[in-house]
Order: sequence, then structure tokens, then C-alpha cells
Amino acid sequence: MATTTTTQAVRRDDAAPAPRRGRRPGVGRTSYLFLVPSLVLFTLAITVPAIMGITLSFTDSVGFGEFDFTGLTNYVALFSDPAILSSYGFTIGFALVTVLVVNVVAFLLAVGLTSKIRGKVPLRAVFVLPMVISGIVIAYVFNFLFSNSLPRWAGAVGFTPLEQSMLADPDLAWITIVIVTAWQAIPSALLIYVAGILSIPGEVYEAASLDGASAGRRLRSITLPLVAGYVLINIVIGFKNFLNAYDIIVGLTNGGPGTATRSVAMTIFSGFTGGDYAYQMANATIFFLIAVVLALLQIRLTRGKAAL
Amino acid sequence: MPSLPPPPPGAPGGPPRDLSRRTFLRGLGAAATGLALTGCARGSGAGSGVTEITFFQSKPEVIGYFDGLIEQFHETQSRVRVRHDATSNLAGSFVRESPPDIGLLNYNFEISRYVERGALSDLGDLPEADRVKDELLPLIEVTATYPGRTSVLPYSLMAAAVLYNRDLFEQQGLTAPTTWSELTAVCEALSAAGITPIYSTYRDPWTIAQGHFDYAVGGMLDTTDFFTELKAQGADVGPSSPVSFEEQLLDPVQRMLQLTAWDNADAPSRGYGDGNLAFARGEAAMYLQGPWALTEIAKTNPDMNVGAFPLPMTEDPADRKVRVNVDLALWIPEASPRKEAAREFLQFLMQPEIIDAYNADNLGFGVTKDAAEVTDPTLVELQEYYERADFYIGPSQLVPQSIPLQNYAQSLVTGAEPRSVLRTIDADWSRLAFRS
Repeated sequence: MATTTTTQAVRRDDAAPAPRRGRRPGVGRTSYLFLVPSLVLFTLAITVPAIMGITLSFTDSVGFGEFDFTGLTNYVALFSDPAILSSYGFTIGFALVTVLVVNVVAFLLAVGLTSKIRGKVPLRAVFVLPMVISGIVIAYVFNFLFSNSLPRWAGAVGFTPLEQSMLADPDLAWITIVIVTAWQAIPSALLIYVAGILSIPGEVYEAASLDGASAGRRLRSITLPLVAGYVLINIVIGFKNFLNAYDIIVGLTNGGPGTATRSVAMTIFSGFTGGDYAYQMANATIFFLIAVVLALLQIRLTRGKAAL
Repeated sequence: MPSLPPPPPGAPGGPPRDLSRRTFLRGLGAAATGLALTGCARGSGAGSGVTEITFFQSKPEVIGYFDGLIEQFHETQSRVRVRHDATSNLAGSFVRESPPDIGLLNYNFEISRYVERGALSDLGDLPEADRVKDELLPLIEVTATYPGRTSVLPYSLMAAAVLYNRDLFEQQGLTAPTTWSELTAVCEALSAAGITPIYSTYRDPWTIAQGHFDYAVGGMLDTTDFFTELKAQGADVGPSSPVSFEEQLLDPVQRMLQLTAWDNADAPSRGYGDGNLAFARGEAAMYLQGPWALTEIAKTNPDMNVGAFPLPMTEDPADRKVRVNVDLALWIPEASPRKEAAREFLQFLMQPEIIDAYNADNLGFGVTKDAAEVTDPTLVELQEYYERADFYIGPSQLVPQSIPLQNYAQSLVTGAEPRSVLRTIDADWSRLAFRS
């Protein structure tokens, strides 16, 4: 008891930084200076615009000139706007399906690419290739394939459902977006899974083989549980990215046919070019809150899994 | 929602409101962009008496043309230098309160909000303003106005109609239809002869909005009256209001859908580029596109014999009208500190020989009282309508951009139920009017 009091007294009496520097060598004031540039840039480029945007969402601004504060009008209007609600419906549905597709395919590919096959290193490079191509380029190439090549091939083999372009069918267009987005997103998920599988010690598999576990059994009872953390990471990061879907949709369907594939990000951007500034700022604020919730979820789920 | 007081209107002409809030946000904005802006030096050469102005003009086909005019302008005087900006984001420049000093852009829903909020300065005192054809004023006004101001001067007008392959028509012994029943007869005859009557490109929503939708609606309805009344109704647009999309546009839209029966079978997966190519190759007899497509068609088939006629939507030939849009209009933002220099350049561009040469070169119709007639072999067919002022602004150009009208038009031709689509547009219009 007495010791504690003394220590506290000593601390209080000390010139603040001196003993700390003494206790933690290397973490001096200069270290904090290194944070300043990024802190300033982050504040100017992210925090300040975000605060401005949120403030504007309570006004009737069209992006320039005079405006009035209108309270929650924009938010009230938002929740009764079928166009906004359907864009959320589409985006969330699309993100869920894409996360599923990406993770199943990427995991299976990762299992394949870490097994004892010939040429797995060059193969890995091939599978990672889509990651380095820009989304809009991929989208335009696939647009051509879906509009021209696929209907022609379908016609040649007599498969009528695909003879008309999928992009032109309001019920099928979303599938093309899932395919193309997955095509581009699988590589990064694949890399994470490969790293995860390679981090499993070989002895575990050896022991399992000695116990007579089949390949399927090893996958189910060893690989899967041991990469569970990576699965979570891939799902959360992937879902968050897919919610922001923009470039691939613009290149493939531009929100069409009709408004069948308009994502939330596209709606928000339309407010910027279309003069519906404050209203879409309100939309962006809601969208931001959703992203915050997901980010918190990600932090929670990945806590303690130092893998990343 | 009803308990909330409606937001006060933009108070045109009123005193500036609430400077403190504005200053607060502007301060934040300045803090955010301050670093970036210091890089963009203010445009006057130090002490030399030369003013540099920014000229915003982004119509891709004529960027080089205007570079040439700027050079010409520099040769005639040395007080004003013009920097040609073809790539900036216009909305962004107004948001940052540093708009270009002078703009020459398509005059439609995009520019209308700057007009309505008084962001563009008055050009009414310039002698050039009096040269504008009187018949064009209603078109300018229905798009957007600001009380007591001439916010824009039209520069070039485009007249669009149905492009048709004169040779194919002649081969089949057909002439350009003047009534709806003649039109359907022509389509039947072409179909029977194994020729695709109309080439359509549903994949690009704008082609449907500017083509089928505008032609059909503009051919049956006085769009100026319709939109004037619609705006007067405010947020009160719906099934019970005197005018609404659902009431007035249902007939035209249904006729438009009847026409789609004569489209090429693969229309849903074809885009604008495919359409130009196919029409140039003679794969269809008619094509609902404006004069901008003529240059593209000529790239594939330079000798093609193309004619133009307004889409007849009724049984009275006198109802035929061409769709026009103010393809380019000049404006000078209120926020520009170099208005005088910008006006000097504006007056240079408005000189009869320069504006006429531009329009002749780019298939535009003249907008001044002294303008020359069109000479293009396709467009001469439309000159008479233009002279009689038998024209309308395409309705798709009068709907604010935050209503995805092009996408709605696309959904109509790909099978959506017309009444419910029009009802959606009514609801969108009403919601937009409520919150702005």
C-alpha cells in the first residue's frame, strides 16, 4: 500500500516525459512527429470532407451556392424512396451472393494450389493475374463477351435461354455482375487462403494420415477448422468491398436494364452529378454507418488472429 | 413527414441567406482544398495586363475545332488568353466555387440547376443576346430560367428525327410517312420484303430516351406546355393531379412500344456503335438517331444516301415536329472574377462568320436571326420544320438527372409495364419537388 502511494507521488512530482523516456527507450517525442504527415493528410482528405458531407446531408444544398438547414427531411425522404431501397436491396443481395461464390471458389482453388501438384507456383501466378487488371477494363471485355460471343455460342449449340444477351435481361443481368466481380475478387481471397493453408504445420497432416484419415476427412477436420480465421477475414473484407460495387457495374450494365442493377454507390454518385447533392449525402451517411458497423465486426472477429 | 415544414425554396433574387453557416462550411472547404488550390495559380500574368480565362467545352467531337478558334482569337488580340478545359468535372468546380470563366455546353438538365440557382451571370445587355431567334426562347425557358436574366446564349441547335435509307425506301417504292398509319404501313411493307424496318440499340439507354421516347412523346404532346404545368404543380404530381406522366404520357409510350415490334430482333444487346454500323451497312431501313450519328455512319459508308423525317405519331401531317436540343450554349458564371475577359471571348465566338462556320461544319442549325440555312443533304429535309418552329425539346432533356429517365425508357422497351413505370416517374418527380 505504502509503496503504491509513493510511486504515485513520485510520478506526480516528476517532469512528465523524462521518466517515460527512461522506461521505454526508443519511443521518444520524435517518433510521434513521424505520424504528423499522415495524420494531417488523413484529416484533410478524409475527416474534414466527411464532416462537411455529413453536415450538408441536413441541408437542401445542391452542391454550390446558398442552402438552408432542413433537419431530417432528407433522411425521412430516403427511407420512403423505393429507388433508394431497391438499390440497397440489390447491393446487399449481390454482395452476399458474391461473397459466397468468391470464397467457395477461392478456397477450393487454394486447396488445389497447395496440394502436391506439378507447376503450382506458375499456376498461382496465373490465377492471381485478374487482380492486377483494372475493373472497368475487365467489365468492358466481359460486356463484349456477354453481348456478342456468349449469345453466338449459345445459338451455335442451340441453347435458347442464353441466345439473348444476359445483360439485357432484368432478371439475369445481376448474375453477370456476380461472375465478373468474382472473377476479379477471387485472386486476393485465394492468396489469403493459400497463406492460411501453408501456415498449417505439416506434422498435423502426417499424424492424421498415420491415423488413416482420408483426403476428404483431412480437409474437413484439419484444413477447414485451422483456416476458419481466414474464412472470416475473407468474408468480412469481401462483403465490405462488394457493397461498394461501382466500376464493374458501370462497365457491364450501367445500372440497367431499367434500374435492375443500380448499386448504392451509383445512386450516391448520381446525386453529385445530378444536383441531388444533399439528399445523396444523407444516403452516403447511412451507407457510411453500415460500413462502420462492418468494420467494427471485422475488428471483433479478427481480434487475436494475428495472421494479417 | 407531413409535419415537417417544406424547405424554403432557393429564394431566387433574395438576399444571401445565413452567411455564418455558409462561411463555416466554406472555411472547412478552404481548409480541405487549400493545399491543392495554392498549386493552381490565379490566371493573370504578373503585371503584363493579360487576363487568362478558363473556357470549359467538352463536346468530344469538336474539341480540336475550338482549339483552332482559340488560336484565332489569340491572333486578333493580346489582352485575353484562353485556356481550354475539356476534362474537368463541372459539378466539382461549382462545388469548390471555382467554376470556369466561360462555358460552352449542352443546355439541358445538367446545366439547368446552375441557371435556376442564379449561378450564371446575366448576358442580356450584350448585343449578341438580341440576335438569338425569338422562336428559341420558349425552349430555353422551359429548360430553366432565372428571373430577369438571360443566363445562356444558345450557340448550336441539333435537330433530330428518323434517319432513313433513301435507297432502300426507293427500292421498295416507299416514301417518307407523314401519318401514323402511313408509318405502320411502311413498316409492314419493309417487313414483308424481309428488311428490318427499324434498327434499335436498347443496350445504350440514352439511345432509347433520346430516340424512341422523345420522338413518341414529342410527336403527340406539347412538351413545353406539359413541363411548364408539371413544374407549376410542385410536389403535387400523381394520379389525381391535372398533369402527370402517367396520364399524358401513356398513349405516346404505348405507341412507342407498338413500334418496337418492328425493331431488329437483337436490339436488347445492341449498342450505339453497333447501330451506326448496321444502319450504314443497310441492315435496316430506319434509325431513330440525331445528326451526330451521320458522321459515324459516314465512316463506314461515306456515300450513303440518308434522309430524315420527323416520326409521325398522329393522323394529321401538320402535327409532325422535329426534336431539337440546344447542343451548345454559352454562359458565364456569376462566380467568375474575369467576366469582362470572358465576355470578350464570347463576343468573338458569336461573330456571324464564326458561329455559322461552326454550325455548317458540325451539322448544327443556326440559332441567330441572321444564321445561314443548313446545307447537309440529310438535314435539308428538316429545314422547313425548323423555319416553321415545328419543334420541341426532347422530354428526356427536361427531367432532372437524379431521376434515371434513360433507365426507365430502357425498361419500357425491354418489357416493363408502361403504366407502372410512368407512375414511378411521377413518384420520383414528386419526391424531388418535395425536397428541393
